[in-house]
Amino acid sequence: MAIGARLALAVIGLAAAAIVYAFPLYWLIVTSLKSKAELFASTIHLLPHNPTFEPYVSVLIDRGFWVLLKNSVIVCASTVVITIALGLLITYPITRLPVPVGLRVGVLNWALSLRFLPPVAVVIPYFAIVRTLQIYDQPIALIGIYSLFNLPFAIWMLKGFLAEIPLELEDAALVDGANRWTAFRRVLLPLAAPGLLAAATIVFTFAWSEFLFALILTATPNAQTFPVGVQGLVTQFEIIWNDMAASGVIAMTIPLILMVVARKYMVAGLTFGVIRDK
Amino acid sequence: MSRLVAELPAPTTQNPVRAGRRRRSRQERLAYKILLPALGTVVVIVTIPFILAVVQSIQADDGTWVGLQNYARALSNPGFYDALRATGLYAVIVLPAEIVLGLGFALLVHRTVQSPGLRATLYILAVVPLVVPPVAVGVVARLIYAPGYGVLNVILERLGIIHQEIEWLSVPALAMFSVASVDIWQWTPFVYLVLFAGLQTVPKESVEAAQVDGATWWTQFVYIELHYLRPLFLLILFFRAADILRVFDHIFILTGGGPGTTTQLLSLYLYRVEFRFFQTGQGSALAVVVLVSISLLYTLVTRLLPLERT
Repeated sequence: MAIGARLALAVIGLAAAAIVYAFPLYWLIVTSLKSKAELFASTIHLLPHNPTFEPYVSVLIDRGFWVLLKNSVIVCASTVVITIALGLLITYPITRLPVPVGLRVGVLNWALSLRFLPPVAVVIPYFAIVRTLQIYDQPIALIGIYSLFNLPFAIWMLKGFLAEIPLELEDAALVDGANRWTAFRRVLLPLAAPGLLAAATIVFTFAWSEFLFALILTATPNAQTFPVGVQGLVTQFEIIWNDMAASGVIAMTIPLILMVVARKYMVAGLTFGVIRDK
Repeated sequence: MSRLVAELPAPTTQNPVRAGRRRRSRQERLAYKILLPALGTVVVIVTIPFILAVVQSIQADDGTWVGLQNYARALSNPGFYDALRATGLYAVIVLPAEIVLGLGFALLVHRTVQSPGLRATLYILAVVPLVVPPVAVGVVARLIYAPGYGVLNVILERLGIIHQEIEWLSVPALAMFSVASVDIWQWTPFVYLVLFAGLQTVPKESVEAAQVDGATWWTQFVYIELHYLRPLFLLILFFRAADILRVFDHIFILTGGGPGTTTQLLSLYLYRVEFRFFQTGQGSALAVVVLVSISLLYTLVTRLLPLERT
């Protein structure tokens, strides 16, 4: 294909993609800035028209969704701590200590297999367990299952990061008389910190977006997370469009901010390290 | 400047022995001391629900043993086959669309965009849809397709293309299209990112040599680049197929499985049986069927995946 034609195709293709991607998000934001009065106006304005933050106040304060935001933060932060800690306990021995190759491959394959568990099939028996333990509608029920479902990502990401740090650095500290724990804390941890942060951010993002478990395992603002609240606005008999849009904007803001931190690792996380950022 | 590349596994080599025999065995013991409790806990936690699902699946709701009755009921329910059919149709729409579009854009950007800055910008923009919570994507889709307030009809009317509202969510074929379009919107960028990274691993020399030999745009793709992308296609197919089996959020928000059961994919069907109709036995039987078939599928395909396992 001639260079000119190729360039034209690229411009047209990218412009089309820009519209298809930008417009829905633009429309979400415009709708979230509409006043109640404008919702019932007969003409729909495609451009912002008397924008107001009223819907955000309505969602967060009047409807009390700030509680759900708080629940989401608690659940996600706890999930991150547990997942990363478990991930380190599993990946440290298999990357830094001499274990048989078979064990290492076995652990990684097993972690990968967890990635393919369909949540809805797992939640059916998990629901019974939650009822038995009497933790229904409590954050701990979500934290447990989120940690489990995010563990495969954490294991594969941490394995990638730890494997890149030369073993000699730790060995040098050990020769100087440090014990394993000190070498881990003083040498390995600082070097692995960027990777840990990236993994933590990605796990937080996944937990933040989770909806099915939260829908099934919670019932009241005691443990409901933000996505459950969003869904509640959508399936009501009469939809208040501006509030619904505002809740959508809030739900996507946090992952987008976190993405700025972890953008380099996002794709590596999603592909279990096949795609790397060099 | 960041550069995204695909890293495919190198042939496995044995670990070099790094220390003396005694130190090695002490370290190995330490490894087990750290690994086994953590791993053991997780394995137990993963296994308990599965065992429980099996137990529930051979019990009636009042706890009496009923053998395989729940399985018989679950598998003779036409709803199950409707769900399988809907899932298959969804996959048949979504997978080719995402792969063709993602591949098209990857090739286009790879061949025409040379500026590193612009490439980096496109990378970031492509990551955006991937991190938007599916629930929020469902909300966006609702704003676009909903009857009465959906902006798509407004735009089409203003452009003079239609004169009457199109019922995107209540005509079966259109509902399936609407639901699928959301998936395509969210996941085409993933395909693009993976394949674009794959294209960066094609050696420049072989492309240049081919061009000297008069390779066209198309032959260059078929005879050189496709070869490097093949393992990545497998990765995409496998990951996306797993995701389609768990698709729930955006459909729940957009159509709730309707009209009728047109967009009731497998995970929505299981949800309904268990948590709307409270058929615990049948739900558990379905869960076991799904878990077992996925495990079988998984063992068959996983070894083919191009993952660095060492």
